[in-house]
Amino acid sequence: MGKESYEIGQRGEDLAAEYLANHGYHILSRNFRSQQGEIDLIASDRDFMVFVEVKNYSFRSFGLPSAAIRREKRQSIIHAARTYLYRNRIKNKNCRFDVVAIYRRLDGSRVIELFQNAFFLT
Amino acid sequence: MLVKIASAAVLGLEAYQVEIEIDSSRGLPGQSIVGLPDAAVRESRDRVRAAIENSGFEFPPGYFTINLAPANTRKEGPLYDLPIALGMLLVSEQITAIELADTLVVGELSLDGGVRPVSGLLAICFSLAKSHRRILVPKENAAEAALIKGLEVIPVSSLKEAAEYLSGQTKIKPYQVDLEKLLSVPSEDLLDLIDVKGQGHVKRALEVAAAGGHNILLVGSPGSGKTMLARRLPTILPPLSLNEALEVTKIYSVVGLLAEKGSLVTRRPFRTPHHTTSDIGVIGGGRIPRPGEVSLAHFGVLFLDEFPEFDRRVLEVLRQPLEDGQVTISRAHSALTYPAKFMLVASMNPCPCGRLYDAKPGCSCSPTQVHNYWRKLSGPLLDRIDLQLEVSRLKVDELAALPQGESSKIVRQRVIAARQLQLDRFGGQQVFCNAHMAPQQIRKYCFLEPEAKQLLKAAIVHLNLSARAYDKILKVARTIADLVGVSTIETQHIAEAIQYRSLDKKGGEARV
Repeated sequence: MGKESYEIGQRGEDLAAEYLANHGYHILSRNFRSQQGEIDLIASDRDFMVFVEVKNYSFRSFGLPSAAIRREKRQSIIHAARTYLYRNRIKNKNCRFDVVAIYRRLDGSRVIELFQNAFFLT
Repeated sequence: MLVKIASAAVLGLEAYQVEIEIDSSRGLPGQSIVGLPDAAVRESRDRVRAAIENSGFEFPPGYFTINLAPANTRKEGPLYDLPIALGMLLVSEQITAIELADTLVVGELSLDGGVRPVSGLLAICFSLAKSHRRILVPKENAAEAALIKGLEVIPVSSLKEAAEYLSGQTKIKPYQVDLEKLLSVPSEDLLDLIDVKGQGHVKRALEVAAAGGHNILLVGSPGSGKTMLARRLPTILPPLSLNEALEVTKIYSVVGLLAEKGSLVTRRPFRTPHHTTSDIGVIGGGRIPRPGEVSLAHFGVLFLDEFPEFDRRVLEVLRQPLEDGQVTISRAHSALTYPAKFMLVASMNPCPCGRLYDAKPGCSCSPTQVHNYWRKLSGPLLDRIDLQLEVSRLKVDELAALPQGESSKIVRQRVIAARQLQLDRFGGQQVFCNAHMAPQQIRKYCFLEPEAKQLLKAAIVHLNLSARAYDKILKVARTIADLVGVSTIETQHIAEAIQYRSLDKKGGEARV
């Protein structure tokens, strides 16, 4: 991954974290990695443990962002989430997978959208 | 947290209770369905989610394990959608149930939260009425479910309505039907024997067949009216009794064909499978076992047009149900029995070109072709057909000149009277009509006048009839005597019965 795209990704996550914080989320971890997976943001939202995937789009033309998370990516997030819960000995807590989509409109203005409960274990 | 809801599964024509257990635990969101679900059951997950959200409820967080007990039988179909959805609402405490004891729940959900009809409901109610008090059913199925007495049928049209009923917020009046009224509705037959001109001897043969439950084979040129006549056979059969109607309805319910028939099948079925039908299609079976044409024709008529055109295997599998009145389908995991008490009416041309009996333009088939055509019908199969007769084409002037015959109504009265005689005679013997008499019963009940005996002996010798044909003639003669209400078989009855063995007589001619 080139330095440039890494920075774009970082910037997207910063924006998402800020957005979530403004919406009452409490950010617990960023870029959490397990052996076979990774999660962009882990936060708590009231009673929920939330695992957040940040999707950065240069423009929006390929359907809804949540639908754009492919199976492999979902598996990766789920694996990392399991690892996180296990390592931190979190039990009996309801969890959720959210997606934050960041993209620009044609006129250049930035849009940040939050999709709660974007996917489930399958 | 754990919730249990009772539902049901259909196996053959019987049903058993399926307990749906839903356990919720906190953790990553998701759900799994266990207990041998098939694809339609596993997909219910997605329908349930959409239906819950679109009914104004919240899809609960956490992980759900849904178990369909007993876990060792395969669960099919979408009928568990509604109980699963209600269970999830209960387990997440969005509703409370004060009305769940002894209650069965079945129903398919649509994405908007509506409840869609399911198949096999009559079988479910029939089998589980004793052990349960109440059943929640899709509104479209209510009339069908209510045919069974002793079960409170609660029709629901949406998930929301069902949830409100369970939690006692709304009352729903149990659906009730008047069975007697349903059955007494005069079935308006568009067909009548009176429509067919001429062919008096065929009509008479059909009457005899109907009166004794005999199978019949019509051989005749194309356009001689075989199909037209066969279609009118149900109109002279006695009407279905209530128990018969329920059994037929059960079969149609399981196959999902009830919608087009109304809630109760009141007319005798008339099935005309095309000659390309497979043996499984005729006899029943398949990966998910399903009754075949012989069962769909239960208590009715199975009409096989172009008899020799059917696959040889199809014709041979017919033998067992013709004998036993039921079909047992054994598969790796289960054996099912479907009832199949039907009258077989077969029709065929005398030869491949169909003109063997016509003077002009005459038959163009070679003897070998005719031979091969007939060879498709095996002896054992023909043995199960008591009446065989030839139908010839009417000439134009005959068509115009012949008077109209009797109407179905009049013929039916004679048939009913004859059947009643048989019922009285066989009372309690597991036999209901002459066609099913065992050899012993034939000796006992087919009492011949001395002259009639003489005639029969002569016929056996001169026409070279087999011992089996002898029994058939006796059975048919018994029916003919019953039609006039005579207890001893007379010469004229035997004479008529011998006529109905035209293929035996032709032994050397058509059948080689």
